[in-house]
Amino acid sequence: MIKAKSIIILLVALVAFTVRGAERVGSGLLVIYDFSAAQGALVKDRSGMQPVVDLRIMNPQNVRRGKGSLEIRKNTMIRSDKVPSKILNAIKRSNEITIEAWVKPANLKQDGPARIVTLSKNSSERNITIGQEAAALQARLRTTHTSKNGMPAISTGRNLSTRPTHIVYSRDRSGRATVYLNGKRAKEQTVAGMMTNWDGSHHLALGNELSNDRPWLGTYYLVALYNRNLSAAEVTQNFTAGIGAEIAPVASGLSPNAHLFESRIAPLIAKHCLECHDSATRKGKLDLSRRATAFAGGETIVPGKSAKSRIWEMVGANKMPRKRPPLSATEKAALKQWVDGGAKWTINQIDPAVYVHTGRSTQNWLRRLTVDEYISTVRAATGVDIAGEARELLPPDLRADGFSNTAYNLNVDLKHVNAYAQLAGIIVRRMDAQKFSARFSGKKRFTDKDMRALIERMGKWLLRGPLEEREVVVYRGITTTVVANGGNFEEAVGLVLEAMLQSPRFVYRMENQRGDGTVWPVNDHELASRISYIIWGAPPDEALYQAADKGGLGENAQLESQVRRMLKDPRAIDRSVQFISEWIDLDRLKNLRPSPKKFPRWTPALATDMRQETIAFFKEIVWKQNRRLSDLFNAQLTFLTPRLARHYRIPNPRAGGGVARYDLTGISSRGGLLTQGSLLTMGGDEASMVSRGLFVMHDLLRGTVIDPPPDIDSTPVPSKPGLTQRGVAEDRLNNAKCSGCHRKFEPLAFGLEKFDGLGAFFDSDQFGNKLRDDGEILFPGEAKPIAYKNSAELMDLLAGSNRVAKSITWKLTQFALGRPLGPSDARIVDKIHQTAEKNGGTYTSLITAIVLSDLVQTTQTVITE
Amino acid sequence: MKPTINRRTLLKGLGSVTIGLPLLEEMVATKALAGPKAVPTRAFNVFFGLGIPTPLQREGFNDVLEPLKPLGNKLLIMRNVDQVRCDVRGINAHFDGATGSFTAEPAQGEAKAGGPSIDQIIRHTHYPNGLPVGMVPTLNAGTFFRRSRVGRYLHSYNLDGTVAGRMQEKPRELFDRVFGTFAGLNDTDARRQRLKRSVLDSVVDQYRFYTGPSSPLGTPSKARVKDHLDRIREFEQRAFELQREQGKGPALPPRSKVPHGGPADPGGEGIDITLEELTTEWRLMADLYALAIETDRTRFGALTFLAAGERIRLTGDYKYNGKTRYKFDDASMHKRTGSAGCSHEWWHKFNEKKKNEQLRAHVHMKMNEVAYFLKRLDGTKEANGRSILENSLITISTESGDGRHNDVKRELSGVFHAITGANGRFKTGQIMDLNAEAIDVYNTMLRTLGAKKQLGPDKRKHKPVDKIRT
Repeated sequence: MIKAKSIIILLVALVAFTVRGAERVGSGLLVIYDFSAAQGALVKDRSGMQPVVDLRIMNPQNVRRGKGSLEIRKNTMIRSDKVPSKILNAIKRSNEITIEAWVKPANLKQDGPARIVTLSKNSSERNITIGQEAAALQARLRTTHTSKNGMPAISTGRNLSTRPTHIVYSRDRSGRATVYLNGKRAKEQTVAGMMTNWDGSHHLALGNELSNDRPWLGTYYLVALYNRNLSAAEVTQNFTAGIGAEIAPVASGLSPNAHLFESRIAPLIAKHCLECHDSATRKGKLDLSRRATAFAGGETIVPGKSAKSRIWEMVGANKMPRKRPPLSATEKAALKQWVDGGAKWTINQIDPAVYVHTGRSTQNWLRRLTVDEYISTVRAATGVDIAGEARELLPPDLRADGFSNTAYNLNVDLKHVNAYAQLAGIIVRRMDAQKFSARFSGKKRFTDKDMRALIERMGKWLLRGPLEEREVVVYRGITTTVVANGGNFEEAVGLVLEAMLQSPRFVYRMENQRGDGTVWPVNDHELASRISYIIWGAPPDEALYQAADKGGLGENAQLESQVRRMLKDPRAIDRSVQFISEWIDLDRLKNLRPSPKKFPRWTPALATDMRQETIAFFKEIVWKQNRRLSDLFNAQLTFLTPRLARHYRIPNPRAGGGVARYDLTGISSRGGLLTQGSLLTMGGDEASMVSRGLFVMHDLLRGTVIDPPPDIDSTPVPSKPGLTQRGVAEDRLNNAKCSGCHRKFEPLAFGLEKFDGLGAFFDSDQFGNKLRDDGEILFPGEAKPIAYKNSAELMDLLAGSNRVAKSITWKLTQFALGRPLGPSDARIVDKIHQTAEKNGGTYTSLITAIVLSDLVQTTQTVITE
Repeated sequence: MKPTINRRTLLKGLGSVTIGLPLLEEMVATKALAGPKAVPTRAFNVFFGLGIPTPLQREGFNDVLEPLKPLGNKLLIMRNVDQVRCDVRGINAHFDGATGSFTAEPAQGEAKAGGPSIDQIIRHTHYPNGLPVGMVPTLNAGTFFRRSRVGRYLHSYNLDGTVAGRMQEKPRELFDRVFGTFAGLNDTDARRQRLKRSVLDSVVDQYRFYTGPSSPLGTPSKARVKDHLDRIREFEQRAFELQREQGKGPALPPRSKVPHGGPADPGGEGIDITLEELTTEWRLMADLYALAIETDRTRFGALTFLAAGERIRLTGDYKYNGKTRYKFDDASMHKRTGSAGCSHEWWHKFNEKKKNEQLRAHVHMKMNEVAYFLKRLDGTKEANGRSILENSLITISTESGDGRHNDVKRELSGVFHAITGANGRFKTGQIMDLNAEAIDVYNTMLRTLGAKKQLGPDKRKHKPVDKIRT
């Protein structure tokens, strides 16, 4: 029996040494040591994540180094020179950790436990230690629920051997800690609490305690630390990758050549080449938008050989792009480097829309609360409805890149500061400060202990997360001033509330953005705040805070349960209405001033009716019927006032006031957002094909127009006898100067020609010209257009299009994140889209997928050291 | 020489704006912030919409530039200045050219320039630690209607390309921004004052933390909070330190009578407006802006007269030097309503071989209004004997050198520029053909003003345009 077990272990070890090709997990990696240098006193951190944490061998004579191994033969310590802040900070924030090592113990007697990996100070103070206790593995983790020594510890059975062994300790936010040996779960135990109390002065060491009194003897092959919990599958993946597995660049998880392609070459091709060489245009029969077609024939791009690649021949000699400025020297150098480096092409198709925003607008900007969010936040936090005053005093938020919550544009003016101060005063006057404070503390005393306790609890609620000591001190200062001026408890609470309501943590959605330049998980309170503002446009409620306090948002199942609960709250509906209103700019309606000569029956009340129609329709499809979001484009129903029904020339409009539901199955020309006045009016009085077509192209299909269009909306040519708007558009399409771009978007509006500038439906125009609604639609990225016979077919094509569905995903994700999306987001957005589609393509499935995605769960940090 | 403000001109110019004389004295006194003989460094960008077609610029002061002639000795008019690099493919040149004016770089977003504007680089060069307390760090104001993108009308951008200060688009807003004190905080009860002060101190402390070394924020976010902190300090100064002027403060200007916000740009269809309505509003803005400079409440910023791609249907008699020069009636002349009836269309219809009367009249009127503002600044002499106009760097520019949209290169070439002498640093009294890119002209201006930071990519080789320097 013993012999059989030994054989299995040997086989496992052999597999570990021999299996190659499996990739190691890169996401969340903080440091990795592969001991690849055969000499010297330094052990290099190969993670590539700055700042690196190299380790120093204190007694080099006591170790034997090989290429890929380091054997400790006598007592020594291998430790960081500096405090490894990137590790400490990352783990404190994420409240998750994984330590992985490939080791071969010298014997099965050493104990203490003998330190294999430790982040600690001495034998009684640590953040975490993995050690050997005879034939068992022991892990001690410091949390708010364990001692400074990380006790109680977690221990495996006597499973260790003196053969190369893969050991992993991984602990998730909820406190579940698991020890794996050679890819198999060896022990699981709960280690409750948060790691926020980790000591920021502890060093990282291998082979001994920092006090030099718990030596370990044996051989290291690999040591790695992650800022997150690795799943069982990921542990297996790393085990399977084995000792000596290639360490990929962590920042992107891609090879350098593939990274170059995604960061430089794909944007370059989108910008300079696809105007003529996309799937639809294919000049010279060359389609550079897809991998298959770009490499077809073997001449355009010859991996490794730029000199033999047609693309380099043309671009390098400035023969391409034709009639356009040549590529810059740096762009050319990148192209050559990419081809010579192997021309890795990692995506199926280059979509120019992905590369529209590549500048700093996609950066992680601090988000000020929008006016709507401020109102909701005050209401949720204090119970006061401040909507009227806030809308009067706060400057309105301006649209940028399609939405008014775009973070880079949420700047501040003196008027904001004045408004926040005034509003804080008004809010507090409307509150019963004493009653409010009783929610957090029953003690109405000025003693330091009582007042601090009140400030801590009240501040945590109002400022959306625990206060730091410096903050408590600041607010406490106000209360002492009140005492010094003979004030009472109520006055003190009121003034503290005023200060909190003006503080950056109330006015902004404050998050940590600093780190090592990599992507970090957001902490639980930040995550709670992100989720609640995405779903409600308001701060977390008590249930969400409680889940954050317990680390309960780290588990997808718990998170999904929270999201399901939150989506049942009416605020989720309000937030979704904000989204649709912003997306299609419903506020535009209140400013409509059509020509009285052309539209003598127009009344501003119709604009209100149009807005109501779209919102009621949206709520019906998205919430009441829980249908796919794409159904917004062809659902055969709507909601009209009698006035709007008459305006639309709907047969037999209902009598009476108010909005009524209309079944449109018998009215084939109508059905879906694009047949509603709220959207049709964006063509202006002349029902511009250009404006309507551009809306469909930009906002529904995420298409791009490469060249500046000739005055996109200010020179509409009027209809006249014998010339309809369709005729005007076709004239443009027959003009070689215009057609290159106009053919991509004007035909998208052909199906809408029967709707006039204000959305009424006619078969002929005022000159008696017969109108048409047949046409073709060319989906971006596709080679051939699809014909439609009438507007109803166009709506069905849009509703059935994955491109349209994906555009909705992009729009909602942009709204959720408060910033335009860039190339680095594309992969995750694709994943969000696939997940949402798998779950029905509904608003709730999409919001859930967004919340569960890395775009919400993580943050891109900037380097601090 | 003691700084003097021509109060008579000032009060007359302000029309119905009443400035209490004691306050004015106070303002003049505080103007000595820069020292009795020192002339502060100032830089302002003056933008007007739609541009001047290049062929009309060649006529010198003989037609559309005529209103600038009286100031000719104090201006350097620069022709053949190109902004082609500001083209953002896929976006029309109204926006590209407008966002590129004073930045010379293509926009990075609807409300984000490709880099800083001239005034902001000079501001950071000369006041690295901020402006004196109580000053408006950047004053942006203007009379405009088209607002589909912020870059169309706002022309001062921070070092990171975000807007450098909110737009004040109504005279009352501008007035409040520069001269206002705040209701509710002028509480004379000393005890209440102390408590309010304590609240504000705590707020300042919080914001200061987020701009300091321990801040958890990245650079762009920190800059945003720093901006907020600066506004709080300004607020603090207004709320507490200017209280002594209570009771003798200026009266508010009259309410604006022209549309603002959404109604100013109804679905891109344009608005009807009379010349009198337009110029009354603008001149009030220009007066207030000039007053802000004269009283040393601001040293940097931008002033806009009509947005890029502006859409107005103008009516009314245009009088110049007491004579009716033209009768505006855009919609009737176009025989169209909506956007197609707007003055904007004259730029689209520009034809070198035709008279272009309507376009010429509009440009002439615009130059007359720009000159109105410049003359206001020329009316105040400073310690060195020169006027504010002569001592400041005022850059006047626009969106394009040709309003026709079918050739981007032509559209963004030959964009009108004029600058003032910046206290003798630049040649004036000339019309120069520069045949240079705006980025090189701007960088030459910046270097002359002592700036180390340059516009454009770091690696770009600078091509100085030294002939503009004295």
